[in-house]
Amino acid sequence: MLQQVHFALSESTHRVLVKLASFLPGLLALLVAVLLFTLIGAALAALVRIILHSMRFDERLSRSNVFAGNANIQNWSLSHSPSVMLARVVLFGCVILGIVVGISALDASYSNNSETSKLLLPYLTHAIGAIAILLAGNLIARFLSRSVLIGAVNARLHYARMLSEGVKWLVLVLTAAMVLDHLEIGGTVVDLAFGILFGGIVLTLALAIGLGSRDLVSRSIEKTAERAPDADPSAPPPGGEPGKPPIPIDTLRHF
Amino acid sequence: MTPTSSDVDTRQPTPDATAPAPEPTPLTGDLLICLTPLPPEDLEATLKNLAGAFPEQQTAGNGNSNILVAIPDAAPASSPDSVLSTAAPDSSPLRLLHYSSSSTALFLTAADYLNAFKMAQEHNARACILLGPESQTLNPGFVRDLAAALLGSSAADLILPHYRLGPNNGLVNSAILYPVTRALYRQCPRFPQAIDVGLSLRMAERLAMAAQPFTAAGQNDAILWPVAEAASANWPVAEIDAGPRGLPQPASTDLNALLSETAGSFFSDIEARASIWQRVRFYQPGCATPETPFSTGTLPDVSPMLEAFRVAYTNLQEIWSLVLPPQTLLGLKHLSLMPPAGFRMNDELWTRIVYDFILAYRLRTINRGHLLGALTPLYLAWVASHILLTGAGAAPEQHIEDLAATFERDKAYLVSRWRWPDRFNP
Repeated sequence: MLQQVHFALSESTHRVLVKLASFLPGLLALLVAVLLFTLIGAALAALVRIILHSMRFDERLSRSNVFAGNANIQNWSLSHSPSVMLARVVLFGCVILGIVVGISALDASYSNNSETSKLLLPYLTHAIGAIAILLAGNLIARFLSRSVLIGAVNARLHYARMLSEGVKWLVLVLTAAMVLDHLEIGGTVVDLAFGILFGGIVLTLALAIGLGSRDLVSRSIEKTAERAPDADPSAPPPGGEPGKPPIPIDTLRHF
Repeated sequence: MTPTSSDVDTRQPTPDATAPAPEPTPLTGDLLICLTPLPPEDLEATLKNLAGAFPEQQTAGNGNSNILVAIPDAAPASSPDSVLSTAAPDSSPLRLLHYSSSSTALFLTAADYLNAFKMAQEHNARACILLGPESQTLNPGFVRDLAAALLGSSAADLILPHYRLGPNNGLVNSAILYPVTRALYRQCPRFPQAIDVGLSLRMAERLAMAAQPFTAAGQNDAILWPVAEAASANWPVAEIDAGPRGLPQPASTDLNALLSETAGSFFSDIEARASIWQRVRFYQPGCATPETPFSTGTLPDVSPMLEAFRVAYTNLQEIWSLVLPPQTLLGLKHLSLMPPAGFRMNDELWTRIVYDFILAYRLRTINRGHLLGALTPLYLAWVASHILLTGAGAAPEQHIEDLAATFERDKAYLVSRWRWPDRFNP
C-alpha cells in the first residue's frame, strides 16, 4: 500500500518536473524575446526621436495644414508632443512584436498535442487582451471623468466632483467586467455582479442629481412664474423708484 | 506660394444687362475696403457711413483715386448700388465689388484675410481695410483716418483701431490678449485681435499665406493673429483712435467654448512663434493709451463669477495642481477665503496663472481641451476682481496698463520655464 502511494507520488512529481523542464526553456525564450525586442525598440525610438527633433518635426507639424485642419488630433495627443508619440509607437510596436515572437517560441517548445499548451496559450493571449482592455478602460475613465468634472464646474454644479467620480467608476466597473469576461473568470457571477453594481451607481447618481438639483429646479420654476408680471413694459425696473429715471446697469462683455 | 485669385468671385456692377457685354476691364483702386456679411439694413448704414467718410474725389499719388468696397454676395444684389448712388454723388470715389463669403465669426477669419488679399491683388489695390461685423457703428472719421494712414501718412504695414469701449467690455482682450501680446512681442496695440484692420499689400499677402493652410483644410473660421505676424516679419504696427464701436454678438453664449476657442488659437500661435518672441527684448516706445470713460451705471453683479470660482476651487484642485506651482495655488487659496466685497486678484497672481497655462498648453501637461476649460473659472475670478476694483474707484484703463506692465516684468519667468521646463517643474 505504502509502496503504491510512494510510487504514485514519485510518478506524479516526475511528470510535473518533466513538464516544468520542458516549459522553462519556452518561458526563458519568451522573456529573452520580450527583453531583446524592448531593447531594440528603445534604440529605434531614440533614433526616431533624434531624427524628428533634428527635422523640427513638431514645429513643422503645428504649422502644416494637417494639424491646422484637425485640432482634435492635438487634443487627443494626450500629454506628449507628436515626435514623442511617434517614438513611443515604435517602442511599443517592438514590445508587442517581442511578445508575439516569445509566445510562438513558447508554443514551439511544446508538442502539438500537449494539453498544457492548449490551455496556456489561449489564456496567455487572452491575458494580453485583458491588459489592453484594462489600460484603455483606465485612460477612458480618466478622460471622461475630467471632461465631466470641468463641464460640471463650468456649469456651476456643486456636486461636480461626485458626478465625475460616478462617471469614472461606471467606466471602471464596466472595464473590470469586460476584463473578467475576457479572461473567462467568474462566468455568470460577473454578469450579475456587474449588473447590480452598474445599476446601483446609475441609481445613486440619478438620486444625487435629482435631489441636488431640487433647489435649482424650484428656483427655475419660481423665476418662470415671476417673469409674467416683469414682462409688463409699464412696470418699474427692479431697483428703480417711481418717478426717477432707471439706473443703467453696465453691460458686461467678455468679447 | 502666393495665393491666386481664381476662387474669389468678384463681379462689377453692369449698367445694362441686355447690352452686348464688352470685355470687362477690372476695376482698379488704391484702396480696397472689405466688408463682412451684414444684415441689409446694417449694410445700408455702413455704405452710407463710407460715402460720408469719402465724400469727394481724393487724389492719390498716381492719380487713380478709386476706393473699392467689396461686399459679400449674401447681400441683396441691387440694394447696395442704389444705396451708394443715393448716398454719394457721382464724384464719390467708392466703387462696389461683390465676393463670396458666408463668415459669421466674431473676429476676422482666415477666409476674410485670404479673400481680401486676392481681391486687392486682382484690382491692384495698394492697401486694404477689413471691416468686421457691426461696422455700421464705426465712426466714418476713423475709416477716413485709417485710409489716409495706409495710403500716405503712415509707414506702418498693420494699422489697428483703438476702440473706446465701456470699462467692462472686451474683457478677454484686457485680461489675456492685450497684456500677453504686449509682453511677448513688445507691440502695444490695445486690441491685438481687432474687429477692423488696415493692411498694406505685403501685410495682406503675408496674412493670406498664413490663412491658406487653414482654408485648404476647410477651417475658414480659423483665427489669425496679425500683430504676431507683423512682429515676426519685423514690420511696423500702428494704432489709431477709433472712438466707440458696437461689438458683435457672439453666435454662442457659452463662455467656456468661446474662451477655449480664442485662447487655444492664441496659445497655439504663441507656441509656433516661440523662437521669435524669445528674442524680443526691447519695448517699443510710444504706446499712447486713451482713457476709457468711467462707468456711470450700476456695476454688473459679480456674485455668479465668485460662485463659479469657489465651485471650481473646491473641485478643480487636482487639475490646477498639475498646471500651477505651489505658490500660485496658495494665492488661489487666499483668494477663495476672501469676502466678496474685498475680493481682489493681484496682477502678479493672474500673470503667473496665464503664463503657467501657456506653458502647460505647450507641454501638454493635460489634455488641451481640459486645460482651457480649467482656465475659465480663473478668468471669471479675474473679471470679478477687475469689476470690484474699478467699482472702488480705480481707473479701469490704468488697471489694464498696470497688468500689462506686470506681464512684461514677468516675461523672464515664461522664457525660463519655456526653455527649461523641468528645472521649474511645480
